[in-house]
Amino acid sequence: MHLGNLASLTLFLPEIAVTATILLLILVHVAGKNRQSAAPALLSLAGVGTALLLVALQPASPARSLFEGMVALDGFAIFFKALTALATIVVIFMSMESRELASRSQTEYYIFLLSVLLGMFLLAASTDIVMLYLALELVSIPSYLLAGYIKGRESSTEAAMKYVVYGATASGVMIYGFSFLYGLTGTTQMAEIGRALAAGKAPLPVYLASVMVTVGFGFKIAAVPFHMWSPDVYEGAPTPITAYLSVGPKAAGFAVLVRFFYTVFATPDAVAGTWKLSQSVDWPMLFGILSAVTMSVGNLIAINQKNVKRLLAYSSIAHAGYMLMGFVLLTPVGLKAILFYLVVYLFMNLGAFYVVILVANGTNSEEIADYSGLGSRAPFAAISLAIFLFALTGIPPFSGFIGKVYLFAEVINRGVYWLAVVAALNSVVSLYYYARIVKVMFLEDPKETTEMPVQAFPRAVISLLAIPTLLLGIYWEPVARVAANSVRLLAF
Amino acid sequence: MLNFVSSIDFSNPYFSVLILLVIAIAMSVGFVFLSQALGPKRYDRVKYSVYECGVEPFTSASVRISVKFYLIALLFILFDLETAFLYPWAVLFRQLGWFGFIEMAIFILILLAGLVYAWKKGALDWQ
Repeated sequence: MHLGNLASLTLFLPEIAVTATILLLILVHVAGKNRQSAAPALLSLAGVGTALLLVALQPASPARSLFEGMVALDGFAIFFKALTALATIVVIFMSMESRELASRSQTEYYIFLLSVLLGMFLLAASTDIVMLYLALELVSIPSYLLAGYIKGRESSTEAAMKYVVYGATASGVMIYGFSFLYGLTGTTQMAEIGRALAAGKAPLPVYLASVMVTVGFGFKIAAVPFHMWSPDVYEGAPTPITAYLSVGPKAAGFAVLVRFFYTVFATPDAVAGTWKLSQSVDWPMLFGILSAVTMSVGNLIAINQKNVKRLLAYSSIAHAGYMLMGFVLLTPVGLKAILFYLVVYLFMNLGAFYVVILVANGTNSEEIADYSGLGSRAPFAAISLAIFLFALTGIPPFSGFIGKVYLFAEVINRGVYWLAVVAALNSVVSLYYYARIVKVMFLEDPKETTEMPVQAFPRAVISLLAIPTLLLGIYWEPVARVAANSVRLLAF
Repeated sequence: MLNFVSSIDFSNPYFSVLILLVIAIAMSVGFVFLSQALGPKRYDRVKYSVYECGVEPFTSASVRISVKFYLIALLFILFDLETAFLYPWAVLFRQLGWFGFIEMAIFILILLAGLVYAWKKGALDWQ
């Protein structure tokens, strides 16, 4: 059911909460004298916390269309809103701890961070291509600013510059694709575009448009061959932002990829929960190749990295490849696997980055060589980093394993064996470079022997990230059920 | 060849457009090469200058422009658009009533926060 503007407002409360927090932060910034006070961080924590609570209270069914068909309120949107809000809260904790950001203006940083969050809320929910583009830019533009937030550092400025150039090109190509879709169908509503494409026959322009749109989404999720920006941006950006970009916008990118392709290029079948591809494009093959190439390139280049942030950047590319496996066949089961993996990935990847921040605070370095002897210098940090890294590899007792099982299972059930074999080989490769960090931490002699005590607060946050990473490897049923329930997309 | 010719749909209404396109491309490209091949070539100082007529260039064209111009331009667009929204609202003011008034007040207050921010940040100072 389409809701009007006024009726939609009561179902738009999380977004309103985030917007109100952003406006409040602007006023705080103008009024406040102390640029380094912790007030903006606490204020944004309260704002995002409220938004998360409001998201949890939102009704998932029946699926509703807000603002005359601009955004959807369905289980899928609610899932991604909760996921991105959770990631933002963890990143705010990280930013409070990070020493890189201590000298910069705090309030503006959180204004940008919350703007990205607002963009991700809208991106996961948008059902109109104009709204989609607007939301994508709302995610992108503050991300450029955040990547270059440490003004004096050359690598940070370089990161922002590269990000802007790549981002502008990708979104330009994408909106050109949108213009084709609009020209072919005469509507900006994704559901109506889908219906028009299913009825008519215009294969060549549709191919062209879908490829162009894939460029824009591929840039957001950093899939090969649109990944070139990510290593430099991830290395140069402040570490909390690197962590944010590798989880938040990536999740939102997957959300929009799934929603767009489902509503535009597939039609809901009579049987509940299954979808039928309406175009003659060989999507499974196309996305299968994209997935295989993405994970292989990410993993193979990660082997040679000496900087932890760069290594995690390539590993993040590889993980986008794994997650694309769930997208290959456009089935609800595969989709559920992506959603589940994103939850698991949020905890393990943010956890790994949190430890990287703590180590950088202690040693002023992000080189893997400087992690030597961390096992004796800061046992808590070293052991938790080892947990996160083994989880990222996908070794059995950890949650990453269960995530991968779901992704592999669907591909194997549908008979795409070659992709499963490629992914399995990639997991073996990834074990090498993740385990190398663990080896440096525990088996190599430390260059310095001074202890690096971890304060109580970071200890608590790391535990909050490590416990789900361990627990979801043993008892994952509730999260898997939530993911399965969230696969329901708005469709009418 | 014969097969190809017989496959062309001459009765298609767009066929004349195709012919027009071919002739247009051939003419525009052809004249470039024709003038190259047939035209007289006499080079002197006037021909080598940037403009054969008009003012002599006296500095480089790439001048550094103060970033403040862009700031002002951005702010101008923002508040110009605000007025663009205000006009239709003003015309329908009586019909929209209090609902329209409150809605517009919220919109202007949000923009006002932005103006205060820009002001305090010194975006309006020309120093």
